[in-house]
Amino acid sequence: MNGEEPSLNVNLAGLKLANPMMTASGTCGYCFEYADLLDLSRLGAFVTKTITAKPRKGNEAYRIVETRGGMLNAIGLANVGLEVFLKEKLPQLRQLRASGPRIIVNIAGHDANEFAELATHVSAEDDIDAIELNVSCPNVAGGLDFGTNPDLLEPLVAKVRQSITPNINLIVKLSPNVGDICQTARAAINGGANILSMINTYTALTVDVYHRRPRLANGTGGLSGPAIRPLAVYLVNRVYQNVARQANVPIIAMGGIQYWQDAAEFILAGASALAVGTGLFINPATPTNISDQLVSWLSKLGYNHLEQAVGSLQMPTAATDTHSQ
Amino acid sequence: MGAIMSAMGSLPANVSTIPMRCLVGATVVFNEPICREHFRLRLGLPGRFSPTKPGQFVQLGCRPPGGGQNQEALLGQCIEWDTAIPPKLTQTELCEELALLRRPFSLAGRGDNATGTWIDVIHRVVGTGTQWLAHLAAGDRVDLIGPLGNQFELPDDKSLGLLVGGGVGLPPMFYLAQWMHQAGWDVVGFVGATTRDLLAVTCNSGQEPDPGGLPTHCIEEFSQFNFPAVVTTDDGSQGLMGRVTDGLEPLLRGLSVPRRRQAVVFVCGPQAMMQATAHLAQAYGVDCQVCLEQAMACGMGTCQSCVVKIHDQPGDIGETGDWRYKLACTDGPVFNAQDVAWA
Ligand SMILES: Cc1cc2nc3c(=O)[nH]c(=O)nc-3n(C[C@H](O)[C@H](O)[C@H](O)COP(=O)(O)OP(=O)(O)OC[C@H]3O[C@@H](n4cnc5c(N)ncnc54)[C@H](O)[C@@H]3O)c2cc1C
Ligand SMILES: Cc1cc2nc3c(=O)[nH]c(=O)nc-3n(C[C@H](O)[C@H](O)[C@H](O)COP(=O)(O)O)c2cc1C
Ligand code: FES
Repeated sequence: MNGEEPSLNVNLAGLKLANPMMTASGTCGYCFEYADLLDLSRLGAFVTKTITAKPRKGNEAYRIVETRGGMLNAIGLANVGLEVFLKEKLPQLRQLRASGPRIIVNIAGHDANEFAELATHVSAEDDIDAIELNVSCPNVAGGLDFGTNPDLLEPLVAKVRQSITPNINLIVKLSPNVGDICQTARAAINGGANILSMINTYTALTVDVYHRRPRLANGTGGLSGPAIRPLAVYLVNRVYQNVARQANVPIIAMGGIQYWQDAAEFILAGASALAVGTGLFINPATPTNISDQLVSWLSKLGYNHLEQAVGSLQMPTAATDTHSQ
Repeated sequence: MGAIMSAMGSLPANVSTIPMRCLVGATVVFNEPICREHFRLRLGLPGRFSPTKPGQFVQLGCRPPGGGQNQEALLGQCIEWDTAIPPKLTQTELCEELALLRRPFSLAGRGDNATGTWIDVIHRVVGTGTQWLAHLAAGDRVDLIGPLGNQFELPDDKSLGLLVGGGVGLPPMFYLAQWMHQAGWDVVGFVGATTRDLLAVTCNSGQEPDPGGLPTHCIEEFSQFNFPAVVTTDDGSQGLMGRVTDGLEPLLRGLSVPRRRQAVVFVCGPQAMMQATAHLAQAYGVDCQVCLEQAMACGMGTCQSCVVKIHDQPGDIGETGDWRYKLACTDGPVFNAQDVAWA
């Protein structure tokens, strides 16, 4: 070590970030909601709530329920819709971008045409660094199809890629609710995604044992928080080893990140950047706290750049996926 | 405050009207049982807490501050470890069931002195988080985010407050009484519970609530400001037997029409009770403000979990049909009863 602090700069296939920490879609509002509790200017990137073509009211309440170490949500993509987003929220995001963070807009459509149309509108705006496709929201009818079916996903991503300006980064957010996540990861990359983000929530169910009905109005919901972290670390490592590394496609990891140790696990498993979702509800300053602490961790390891740590996890050579007891 | 101010670095001028919320560490002053399952928790906050109003709430961490991995101790410093040995971390989350998300609690009172601010919350043990709170003792540390939410409004042309609280809806009414006393309003409290030992109030000795439902100075939380109160229990074990609306209706009926126009009903409690109270107030032409306690994850307007159905207002933009979802945590928790699209 030369006495200089390790660098947290990240280059995600051309998308340059001051540090790897981001907000996860749907857990940080549209822009300034946390401004008095989180120094937003110190984020690597800000990711918006999923935007749809038309405003969506979302599901009936109850929309959330806590489980041990996690929470289920069935928000149902409640959002202001594209028009209000562009008119009211985007100017705020521009203001935020001027202070440092890159801006990532998360979108979802009912079908490939709507996805493409949304992406066209969004990419026509200045100051948007990347579009993230939410192909994996488990809380809306039909919302899972693209995210779980590689044969549908690849043409969808290709169509979106064609309809946006080439300098805009395209992120596909992968669903964990699949048999083999490498297949959807491959499909996303083949379709033209230059960054992957993972993971969205796990479809899950909790039961009101007195009334014998689901505890969420929607029935099922998406599980997030520390409960899913080891599952997410595993999937990140799998995609990194089998797909992303060869394709040179960076991974934005999320799933239960609350502490720097969690972030460090993901980095070692193959993540180049990290997003905090549920953790923001507990402490909105989580991303900046983690940034600070990652620096100490990297110097402990003797690295002078975060990128040196990415994917440096040493798996036992004989490690197999399905371990026998 | 220094850390908070620097965190404001990203806040542009045009959103600086947001009341300043912060994450603060608090010390338990006391945590005393009030009645079965209910505790009054007084928290001492360092320095001056942002201004608060009745109706506002805080998000309490119902687990040791800093989380299971003792982040407070690790913050800003690097832990020493031999890279050959895994770091030793106390992973509380693996040994016991702890609440992950913060839990919302209405402010039940506040005071400021030379060393800082104290706030009161009254909590009822119903699950994981409140069970943890029940074990807190003087000197223990908790952290909270607040102040959150909007507030009860005291319109200039009104002067009579009818404060209706049922179950865990009572705490904001105590803070409201404190505030109305300062504002010079006349107040009558209406306190409802299913049964006597779930009444989270302090009864003045020798002052049993009137079984006929007449307002008397029986409840300390109100009588300390010289306000009378009516107590109702579903089973008649204390005060008037019946619902809290059974105590409210005779009083509303007895008010002259001009006095009704000066009155406002403020209500917080179970959904059905708030709805019944709102209908009653409307029937007598009395304004009503409801404090809607919807299940929350963030409490800060980001997760969209705490939605309540509110009729479209003049000036609302965008098509919605006759109602739209608003957020109990930032648009509320206090709403005008007539705006609520009850289920
Ligand atoms: C704005 C606001 C203000 C509030 N103010 C106050 C206040 O001043 N005082 C107060 O006491 N409360 C208040 N509340 C309510 C308070 O936030 C909740 O009581 C608290 O969050 C409960 O947390 P818990 O962890 O103890 O319960 P949880 O563990 O979250 O459990 C909640 C309930 O669900 C039940 N439950 C759990 N699992 C199941 C299952 N599988 N099937 C059936 N039932 C189940 C539990 O028994 C319990 O009754 C307020 C809420 C809001 C939104
Ligand atoms: C309340 C809530 C709302 C969410 N909304 C969205 C959304 O609109 N779009 C999306 O792509 N992901 C959404 N997610 C998923 C998160 O972005 C993230 O992928 C997931 O929660 C895992 O990360 P975490 O464990 O840190 O929360 C949501 C998660 C939560 C908890
Ligand atoms: S609790 Fe998250 S938006 Fe209200």
